[in-house]
Amino acid sequence: MQAALPVSNRTVSLSRKSWSQRLLPYLMIAPTFLIVFLFTLKPAVSAVIDSTLKPARLAQDPPAFVGLQNYADLFNPTHHLGARFGGILLNTILFAFGTVAIGMPLALGFALLINRRLPLRGVWRFGFVYPSLLPLIGAASIWAFIYADQVGLLAAILRAANPNWLGSPGLVLGAVIVVNVWSQTGYYMLLFLAGLQGIPRDLYEAAALDGANYWQQLLRLTLPLLRRTTLFVLTVSFTFAFQAVELLQGLTEGGPGDRSNLILYFIYQNIGERRNWGHINAITIILAVIVLIFTLSSFLFFERGGRENER
Amino acid sequence: MNAKPRSLSRPFSWGSTLANVVTIIAAGIWLTPLLFTALMSFRPPAEPVTQGNIFVGTILTTENYTRAWEIAPWPDHYRNSIIFVVGTLAVQLVTVTLAGYAFARMTFFGRDLLLILVLLQLMIPPGVLLAQNFATIRDLGLFDTHVAMMIPYWGSAFGTLLLRQAFREVPMELEEAARIDGATLVQVLRHVYVPLAVPTYIAFGVVSVSSHWNEFLWPLVVTQSESVRPLTVAINKLIRTADQGSLYSLLMAGTVLVIAPLSIVFMVFQRRFVESFASSGVK
Repeated sequence: MQAALPVSNRTVSLSRKSWSQRLLPYLMIAPTFLIVFLFTLKPAVSAVIDSTLKPARLAQDPPAFVGLQNYADLFNPTHHLGARFGGILLNTILFAFGTVAIGMPLALGFALLINRRLPLRGVWRFGFVYPSLLPLIGAASIWAFIYADQVGLLAAILRAANPNWLGSPGLVLGAVIVVNVWSQTGYYMLLFLAGLQGIPRDLYEAAALDGANYWQQLLRLTLPLLRRTTLFVLTVSFTFAFQAVELLQGLTEGGPGDRSNLILYFIYQNIGERRNWGHINAITIILAVIVLIFTLSSFLFFERGGRENER
Repeated sequence: MNAKPRSLSRPFSWGSTLANVVTIIAAGIWLTPLLFTALMSFRPPAEPVTQGNIFVGTILTTENYTRAWEIAPWPDHYRNSIIFVVGTLAVQLVTVTLAGYAFARMTFFGRDLLLILVLLQLMIPPGVLLAQNFATIRDLGLFDTHVAMMIPYWGSAFGTLLLRQAFREVPMELEEAARIDGATLVQVLRHVYVPLAVPTYIAFGVVSVSSHWNEFLWPLVVTQSESVRPLTVAINKLIRTADQGSLYSLLMAGTVLVIAPLSIVFMVFQRRFVESFASSGVK
């Protein structure tokens, strides 16, 4: 009886909470929730609504409801925005996949290289990480100099063999992907390093006793145990890739002829165009859905892969 | 990350020597752009990298720095960047503490639903909703102010999540003991929870400061005057200037002016940065 007393007391006091006490948790969450509401929830809902409207010719007139017409326009090559949007959508997907396909293996490789006994280890780690601490617009300005036609660093090295990296339609997107990989890989390396250091050391000792060599340990032990880290890096790098428009502002402004343009930069370019407001919101929704698909599907893919491994 | 590297202790092997060489070459490639940024910034303004010695050109000079300094109101930009990151973090520390505690230690109707709604901020980053958020800033009458740059970050799902996790690890007995002694909620937070979550606050602070110091597109969109705009937007102007006259040594000097402060802080506190990014998982 003695021991049960405090517990029952506590329940009583809970049910006798005053109104101000009941309100307290909501007040504590209110500032955070207000900001999330104003800059995430409300704009997401508004974007859905506005994407079905067509602005009137005059600003004071109400917009007309057009259903999914704005979306249809974006995939109609004869529409002035549709003519551009298909290519920009493809660029965005290529840019995200390209960055991840090159950057993730590099980041893992760098992490494996750094996570060893190594003279001056801090120096090399700094070398990999440093670019990821720069503002993307700073990375863009550095690479604007490297890529500059005739007078850039690559022109000085390759001389006559140097193509106009940012001026040729076939090279420009790849050139921007390289900059993105350079500026992000160090950060993903840090995440992999943290994952590697979370693997218990005795697992390797046991594997070594069983006669497993370095590569067998890597394939059978390290990589499977890094699954969660890999998922996380994948998710983060996709979401970052869709937002890496600073590079375009500094390097190409989306050109030549939209060949390096990305969805978010296209939104930025049209942000002041009132007559395109419905289309801009349709594009926003498409971008938001793509981001969600990437983050959620990479998650599901790795969850299922995980269960199969356990079986 | 201060643990020793977890490799198998082995005597000399060709494999690990080769790996060392690969590491050095790869890190060297990764640092090459920065090396040339620094070298280029000391060339005469109109001299391209193709002229003279590829490393040092014909002559070294600090002329680019004096010229770059004249092109933009740098003291204003430095001040604006500092206001942006400090003003953002100061409010964040309060809001994430309150929300983190409520989600970690209080029971109330709708808690899980509210948490999911807050977490949507991580699923659809505010940057994606650029056009709508720009309209909101205009409607609120905040266009071209410091507040416009900071306000979307005053509530942080990421910080709330970090603090919620840290607060849940605080032993319940500590709070109960303080309550029995008559401590109010504010006192419990100040003397029990906040001191025990200091490492989490540092990790969050490092991530918040460096990401907003580097932010570009949002400040560019919601501001107009140089008296409000941060350093990153100043580079944008320099890129335009440099591009027209191929003044890349000038651009590199301007870039150094922008990236130097955070770089120095990073070099001094390298371990702190590395741990913060790795443990918090978001840049």
